[in-house]
Amino acid sequence: MTVKPLDGIRVADFSWFGAGPIAGQALATYGAEVVRVESSKRLDSLRVGQPFKLDDEGKPISSYNVSGYFNNFNAGKLSFTLDMNTPKGKELAHRLVVESDVFLTNFTPRVVDRWELGYEQLKQINPRIIAAYAPMQGMEGPHRDFLGFGAVLTPVTGISHLSGFPHRPPIGVGTNYPDYVVNPGHTVTAILAALRYRNRTGKGQMVELPQVESVVNILGTSLLNYLANGVNEGRIGNRHPAAAPHGAFRCADDPTSLGSEDRWVAIACRTDVQWQALCDAFGHSAMATDTKYATLADRKANEDQLEAMVGEWVRELRAEDVAVLLQSRGVPAGVVQNSQDILDKDEHMKARGYYQYLDHSETGRSAYDGPGARLSLTPAGHRAPAPLLGEHTFEVCERVLGLDPDEIGELVAAGILA
Amino acid sequence: MTERALEGVRVVEFTDELGSYCGKLLADLGADVVKVEPPGGGLQRRNPPFFHDREGIDTSLDFWFHNTSKRSIVLDLDDPKDREIATKLARRAQILLEDMPPGHLAEHGLGFDELKASNPALVYTSVTGFGQTGPHSHWAYSDIVGQATGGVMTLAGEPADPPNQIAGRQANISASIQAAQGTMAALLYAEATSQGQQVDVSAQESLSMSQETAMQTWDFQKRNRTRTGERGMLPISLPALGVYEALDGYVYVMVLAPAGADLPELVAWMAEEDKAEDLGEEPYASLIGTLNMAYLTQVMTDPSKAAAVAGQLQHIHEVIGRFIASKPARDVYEQGQQRSLLFGLVSTPEDLANNTQLRARNWFQEVEPAAAGEAVEFPGLPYRLSETPGRLGPPPKLDEHRDSILAELDTVEAAR
Repeated sequence: MTVKPLDGIRVADFSWFGAGPIAGQALATYGAEVVRVESSKRLDSLRVGQPFKLDDEGKPISSYNVSGYFNNFNAGKLSFTLDMNTPKGKELAHRLVVESDVFLTNFTPRVVDRWELGYEQLKQINPRIIAAYAPMQGMEGPHRDFLGFGAVLTPVTGISHLSGFPHRPPIGVGTNYPDYVVNPGHTVTAILAALRYRNRTGKGQMVELPQVESVVNILGTSLLNYLANGVNEGRIGNRHPAAAPHGAFRCADDPTSLGSEDRWVAIACRTDVQWQALCDAFGHSAMATDTKYATLADRKANEDQLEAMVGEWVRELRAEDVAVLLQSRGVPAGVVQNSQDILDKDEHMKARGYYQYLDHSETGRSAYDGPGARLSLTPAGHRAPAPLLGEHTFEVCERVLGLDPDEIGELVAAGILA
Repeated sequence: MTERALEGVRVVEFTDELGSYCGKLLADLGADVVKVEPPGGGLQRRNPPFFHDREGIDTSLDFWFHNTSKRSIVLDLDDPKDREIATKLARRAQILLEDMPPGHLAEHGLGFDELKASNPALVYTSVTGFGQTGPHSHWAYSDIVGQATGGVMTLAGEPADPPNQIAGRQANISASIQAAQGTMAALLYAEATSQGQQVDVSAQESLSMSQETAMQTWDFQKRNRTRTGERGMLPISLPALGVYEALDGYVYVMVLAPAGADLPELVAWMAEEDKAEDLGEEPYASLIGTLNMAYLTQVMTDPSKAAAVAGQLQHIHEVIGRFIASKPARDVYEQGQQRSLLFGLVSTPEDLANNTQLRARNWFQEVEPAAAGEAVEFPGLPYRLSETPGRLGPPPKLDEHRDSILAELDTVEAAR
């Protein structure tokens, strides 16, 4: 059996939606046993969110266990169903915390209070617990109880204002972007740092990740520009203040790219050398030294014309060919890939085996995002696909909580384990 | 003085734009991060904007933000004497963090295999565009190329526009955040077993999870998700769902959501301010009572019901629009949220600097970069650790800490 960094660590995962569960999943890939607490009485909405596995006739399978949205964030966990809105449910939750090293939640402070899962309570029953809270705004403060999802977080943190083209309203970035890497990644980093401190001192602590604070951090330069210079930045589309050309350029359509036939290549010239190489690649060497474009300052001064010209050079070419051509000359370039490209066509992703294909009893063999970092000696990875709702409830009751079969039977009859 | 979470962890980093945020996360948690920079400094030191528009190698705000709490020494890895210093730094480090092209450090005697002989517990983290292996591992990289190949650009923007990059160089940020997690996990393992290892992070892969559901949509249904712009995934526009222009900015409204109060609460608020117009009358009043999450779910599968009342929906949308347009954006946000209405301010950097919550919780920290000669407020940390709070130290000037770093090495050597 492979030894992993978090072997022997148990996580009580009281989270839902995206940001919390992904953090729990990352801990599982490093070897932790993650008990995901959920309830059939108030489902995690992702269990009933698209995309669903389809049956043989192309219709979504009717089940709580076939959402790709949920499954991709919960691989390798144990699913333990518990009704937290009962006194007995709260008592069992506390027993689970006693048996755990890490507690994790992204429920609102109000719900945390109602479920008696605040840090002051948890540390009474388990002083060594590392209790991680990832509320939208924070566990205290005047906006503590403001509501939010990733969709609201994107505007509130400045991502919407700063992303996209200046002639458009701030429409956002098409996804609940902060939920998937930024917030869970910051959460895990903090939990691991707290584990190190506990290893040295025996002390647990509270880790708080106010999502707004976490996400504003990824726009740090723009915020600092206001704080230090008083400059209130706006949208710059696909441009970069120290590169030109820099953007996505349309190439020839590709009908095999299903539902996504328009094809684009991203190009970034950070240096004059790269610009010269780009001109050479398309047989326009004279443009490299044209006084309108010779230096970065020239190219920035004539950026609209520059972009139109490069756009013409690539418009009839295949995006893949442009990327390979430019890369062969050392110019940063890549296809604006869709998921079909990434899963089925990208030879590099395939060769690295990033996606893990796991056999799930209801979805069959399906793709999961692999770990974001490859550890050579203790490779991270999913030990199992996502659990079925409540799949491990009995196991957790017996093995983790130490209940006997009679007690478990009574809890089932009382509707506590649902 | 409280101990820091990464007290006593020595990090040597050879990073520019891609890995510098990872080093910042470690440094702000208490690690001693020595940044080895090439003569003249790297790309990030040249990125605008500059402090008070004073363009120079020590005044890039982009560099400052991503390099808080670090020390700097310039070493020319092509020079044998400098290379020896770099090797000494790596030998006494717990973590080596780098974002050079694959093989570059190994060619200069600083590869994992060479170092592990003398430092077997070393965690050696490499953050690159495409990872250490595979046919594209030597591809030239810049942030937008990571965002493109990683699958997030295809999802962002209006269908009529080119796909949009996400602001803030998010491929670099994502790679750094993934690297921080992997490095910390490997550090825990090394501290428990004295065994080091390599950590390989690809910026392209690091963004994959941010495709949201697009990857699984292809895997399960052989459909590509594409960019859908302002309307999002809705088949038809609905009121109180989307971006609205306020008196002095924008707000994002998501009243038709699984959380918070429903549309009648918004209309009641509008009525209190005499801005509900005719929404209290039929046919609008009845329709407003039904516009909730269940309605939205129906519309997603069968838009025809909503299409039949499209004119009424448009009217409700316009009245709400006039109400919001009459108020400052921040008032709409804070007053709406106090009524449990899911409103979000489309914050500008100025709004964030004045954000009620961030200010009330003292999130910003004062830092005094040597090149500034005065204290500057910086964005705070992404997390709060109750026993071992992180803290921002100043970003270094180029080569600022040469003497102290060399003196430490001499002391270590003398003790051998």
